[in-house]
Amino acid sequence: MVAIPMQINVNGEARSIEADPKTPLLYILRNDLALNGPKYGCGLGECGACAILVDGRAVRSCTIPLSAIGDRQVVTLEGLASGEELHPVQRAFIEEAAAQCGYCLNGMIIATAALVAAKVNAGEADIREALRHHLCRCGTHMEILAAARRAVRYAQSERQAIATPEAEKQA
Amino acid sequence: MIRDEEQHGSATPEAAGLLCVYSAGADGRIYLSIDQAGVVRAFNGHVDLGTGIRTSLAQIVAEELDVPFSHVEMILGDTRTGPDQGATIASETIQVAAIPLRQASATARAYLIDKAAAHLDAPRDRIILDEGVIRGSEGENWNIPIGDLVAGENIRLEIDPEASVKPVSSYRLVGSSRPRVDIPAKATGKWTYVHDVRIPGMLHGRVVRPPYAGFDHGDHVGNSLIAVDEASVAHIDGLVAVVAIGDFVGVVATREENAAEAARSLKVDWRPAPHQPDLNSPENALRANPATPRKLADRGNVDLALAASPQPMDRTYVWPYQMHASIGPSCAVADYRDGQLTVWSGTQNPFPMRRDLALLLDIPEDLIVVERLEAAGCYGRNCADDVTADAALLSRAVGAPVRVQLTREQEHAWEPKGAAQVMDVRGGLDLEGGPAAYDFQTRYPSNLAPTLPLILTGKVPPVAEVLQMGDRTAIPPYAYGNLRVTVHDMPPIARASWFRGVSAMPNTFAHECYVDELAAAAGVDPIEYRLRYLHDPRAVDLVRAVAERSKWVPHTTHGTLGGEGDLLYGRGFAYAVYVHGKFPGTAAAWAAWVADVAVNKKTGEVAVTKVICGQDSGLMINPDGVRHQIHGNIIQSTSRVLKEKVDFSSTAVTSKEWGGYSLITFPEVPDIDVLMIPRQDEPPLGVGESASVPSAAAIANAVYDATGIRFRELPFTPEKILAGLNGDEPIRTQTASRKRWWRNLGLSVAGSVAALSGLATMASPWRPAIPSIERPGSDVYSAATIERGRLASAAGACNVCHVGNDGTPFAGGRRFDTPFGAVYATNITPDVENGIGGWSYTAFERAMREGVSRDGHHLYPAHPYTSFAGADDADLQALYAYLTTQQPVAQRAPETRLKFPYSFRPMMAGWNAMFHKAEPFKYDASRDSQWNRGAYLVETLGHCSACHTDRNALGAEKRGAAHLSGGFADGWEAPALNAVAKGPVGWTEDAFFDYLRKGHSNQHGSAAGPMADVVKAMQPLPDSDIRAIANYLASLNADAAPDKAEAQREAALAASNAAKTEAARISPRGERIFNGACASCHGDDKILSSLALNSNLHANTPDNLLQALLTGVEAPAILAQTTGREAPEVMSMPSFRQTFDQRQLEDLAAYVRARFAPDKPAWDDFAAAMQRVNAAPH
Ligand code: FES
Ligand code: FES
Repeated sequence: MVAIPMQINVNGEARSIEADPKTPLLYILRNDLALNGPKYGCGLGECGACAILVDGRAVRSCTIPLSAIGDRQVVTLEGLASGEELHPVQRAFIEEAAAQCGYCLNGMIIATAALVAAKVNAGEADIREALRHHLCRCGTHMEILAAARRAVRYAQSERQAIATPEAEKQA
Repeated sequence: MIRDEEQHGSATPEAAGLLCVYSAGADGRIYLSIDQAGVVRAFNGHVDLGTGIRTSLAQIVAEELDVPFSHVEMILGDTRTGPDQGATIASETIQVAAIPLRQASATARAYLIDKAAAHLDAPRDRIILDEGVIRGSEGENWNIPIGDLVAGENIRLEIDPEASVKPVSSYRLVGSSRPRVDIPAKATGKWTYVHDVRIPGMLHGRVVRPPYAGFDHGDHVGNSLIAVDEASVAHIDGLVAVVAIGDFVGVVATREENAAEAARSLKVDWRPAPHQPDLNSPENALRANPATPRKLADRGNVDLALAASPQPMDRTYVWPYQMHASIGPSCAVADYRDGQLTVWSGTQNPFPMRRDLALLLDIPEDLIVVERLEAAGCYGRNCADDVTADAALLSRAVGAPVRVQLTREQEHAWEPKGAAQVMDVRGGLDLEGGPAAYDFQTRYPSNLAPTLPLILTGKVPPVAEVLQMGDRTAIPPYAYGNLRVTVHDMPPIARASWFRGVSAMPNTFAHECYVDELAAAAGVDPIEYRLRYLHDPRAVDLVRAVAERSKWVPHTTHGTLGGEGDLLYGRGFAYAVYVHGKFPGTAAAWAAWVADVAVNKKTGEVAVTKVICGQDSGLMINPDGVRHQIHGNIIQSTSRVLKEKVDFSSTAVTSKEWGGYSLITFPEVPDIDVLMIPRQDEPPLGVGESASVPSAAAIANAVYDATGIRFRELPFTPEKILAGLNGDEPIRTQTASRKRWWRNLGLSVAGSVAALSGLATMASPWRPAIPSIERPGSDVYSAATIERGRLASAAGACNVCHVGNDGTPFAGGRRFDTPFGAVYATNITPDVENGIGGWSYTAFERAMREGVSRDGHHLYPAHPYTSFAGADDADLQALYAYLTTQQPVAQRAPETRLKFPYSFRPMMAGWNAMFHKAEPFKYDASRDSQWNRGAYLVETLGHCSACHTDRNALGAEKRGAAHLSGGFADGWEAPALNAVAKGPVGWTEDAFFDYLRKGHSNQHGSAAGPMADVVKAMQPLPDSDIRAIANYLASLNADAAPDKAEAQREAALAASNAAKTEAARISPRGERIFNGACASCHGDDKILSSLALNSNLHANTPDNLLQALLTGVEAPAILAQTTGREAPEVMSMPSFRQTFDQRQLEDLAAYVRARFAPDKPAWDDFAAAMQRVNAAPH
């Protein structure tokens, strides 16, 4: 337990931290950076409550030692929106009221965000598989699935919106 | 706008320009306030447990007051001024607790209209209150916002129970769906849960719980602590306090990870926990539990009818222990100062908890403020109150605010469980096929679970109270002419309290399965049979509506839906009304289920494919909210029925995470069709639990319909179903018997002494000391030499063994357990006193090549001088130069003291004569320079053989074929590096290179344990050296070729896929643990390399698997810099030492062996492996 100064990149900003390099990133995000999105659920990598994006991929911050981050980009729930504008996955979850207590919501949104970024045509089986190891005890699965489907639609229409002007230019 | 509780500072009634409505009496509590801006604040004693009642209550207030919904703020569970409405339980909030709120709103509304009438001098019936504004009924241009009517005044009203409330027909807000007000903040990380509370100067606490996990009564409770060894955590940074009161133990530190570390490392001596009855099959334990029978109903003549029944049917139904399983372990912050306490808590019961805290701390209740914040959903009493009391004790001990977070393991182990339950039905058919009689008895061992720190500290005696809670829905809904219902009131066995559906869910399991059994025995369609005896008209409507919605096809035998392949299809029905509160209780919403299942007759898996659920909820305040509650209940209860059961050892709860207690996952979630009966003209009913209640019977009846077998004990795990289908007992884990592989190291001591002393004469046991020198200056060596030394040190991974226990490079002190005793690595920093600062190069070289220390004593071969002997002079010189330029550390490593006779170091001279050949490394001219470089590094500086070669009884590396054929190091098996390797894929040069360079090869997996440290230590070596090592090692695996390896990889993956079902059959519990605890990283299609490729799963013993599970596998820091972005291993494998017990480890090991190394025999003698691994230092 020897604290050493380190730099990590979180939500697009370089942040200086002084902590034992073995410290789980989750504690750093919550306690040093006051980010409440990632939640402690098990500390064992099982439940997904602590999920964050590292270089765009959904991983579990409770099992990532601070030292493993290096110069990778960390994004938390707080960093998804750009300014006032919500991330389409967040919009989808709000519109489908996909939370009861909402404690699992962070993991669900992060996993869905990683999924739609990686697979724009994600189908029902992809969605369920991507969320398989994200636990929800309130039984909000129906609404979460609806939100994830909606998020996939948003991602698709966003792609189209980007693709269309390009296509027009070429025509 | 509805804001969060903690922002309601201005809600105090003293603020200027405020109308407040209180309950009657001088000490009335506030229910409602309206300020001059027109903002309405409404108070309710119940809290939001994640069900969205915050939104529904706001709708009720806005409706009754005729103000915009957005002007209402709900303040829930405020202990300073708000109403005490008891615990938030039993679906009561809307049905009961909302009533005074509605009346308070009506009171305020009447007052405002009177006031406006007076103000405008207009008749009362001309005044309209609309969206918070006073208007005229005939188009008068009045427009007075209600805030104006209270401006500058302090108005205090008492709730008028007579104030007239609106007729339902004029509702515009209530009964229409409203989006939940809290979700946008929750979806963006802006919501403040109790876990997110941070206050200035806050410290972090953790608790250490006693070994009788999950049991809260008996003389040992509060009396088991023997001693706490504070020295065991003294080294932890920022440790503030260790607190022990009775059996309450906690630690406080400035940082959370340090508090967590302190709690893990604190040595606490406890008396052993007493044995408990077997609760894994709880039936016997419940029957043996002392009980008082209480008769709830007795009509007709049951005994006579039973005696006369031509077809008696006596049945027993068993419900297991289950848990709330909140996704977030409980957390609280407490600030105890000057005899006053403020707590931030996720409690369900702010007022009762305040009484507990007053008792715990001996302070009056009114010096305690409870700030209630939302926590992770709970479905009954979890550890929220316990952790609040924990925080209060720790805050009092350190005089500063303390946040306590329970661990996942603690929440699982200690939360008051949903009790097991046993239901007996004696009955049968009469001559007409009707129910002859129904003699129902139920046993439910639960109470309110006293707040844990109260009993741990001895404030409350650890005596199990008996509570009358087994009677919920104990009366069957059917008009049985001869009916007797008896509830056996009994104390808890394991710690238990109310959990969603309380005793009604198990009672209904029995009622609704039994009526199904009667129908089948009578040869009548199960719904039709029920309707004959169901007389409640709303229930009948509901049952018919659900039957119709599901397109129910009446049938009189099972099996009518047939099947496909291995699947059998079935459909089941159940109905219930959930009765809560003190007997005879209040009915909440009615609910009925049709469940469709597919049962796999090969694997025993039950899939619930569809649920059609109807519910009559009376008036629905927020229909979308009701629908979400129904969904939640269906999914949670399906999970409980199919998967959930708490496991126990003979002394404690052992289900301590999501592998040991599994929940439903997304792929298993059924299709759901909800039918909400429109009853907006009836009073609102609780909807928080009803839809759970019919679940178990509906699914059990569906499984019967599919298979023709009645399963009467939950959960419906594959092994239970399979055993039922096979008509036998559940299979046991098979362990093939094989010869014990573990080599016996114990050549008799006498023998070895004889061997050694015989040899001692051949070599001089006494070696001269080499004089100490002045420490060489650091400027003596060129930068190039020092750099070469740095690389030599990297190749030798010197710092892996010689690292200080606190991480200081080369400081020494690490302990290595050998069969001869513990060996400690020495300090090799240039400190003159403690390190090698006084060593000349000659002394250094002698130690490296001959194993003799500067003062002449012999070193043990744990220091691999047998390898170093062959190193080039230039390398050793450079290494010496490099070490002398390190920071000296004045710290003495512990003395190595081996057992006699090995403690007699001069004997090592004989040993050396036998086993040590000090000669230079021989290059092989027939090989290229890369191979030779690799061989040199592996065989000398790298000393790979020190770990990867088996040792003989005297601790010397074996020669010949044994060389690099695998050995043991530090409690880990070091696998063979040559062709005898056990893994399924041959090691190619590229694979060796990836593994040594990045700590990971996608054909094999990641380096773990000591090897991970070696990879890290070798980081400074250039790629060319790593490549050379890989080239040499690959030459020892002549058979390994890239295309072959790829084919082997595919084959291993295919074999492990094919082995899934069999592995699940061999170890069903292991499969569940794997799916819950491991598969999030090691499942199919996960980014990590499959365990099928991992040598450790293919090894002869489970040692490395156990090591990885118990100590975890850290993602080496090197990966962060060296791996590509596509590489996944930023995640470390956590340690499961505090999580799994031996049985769980054994189940898991059996499963992963069968699944990932299906061609290898099962591991035997697991206990011996456990012992070896536990004996290794950790
Ligand atoms: S808290 Fe990280 S996965 Fe559960
Ligand atoms: S909404 Fe509560 S755990 Fe998912």
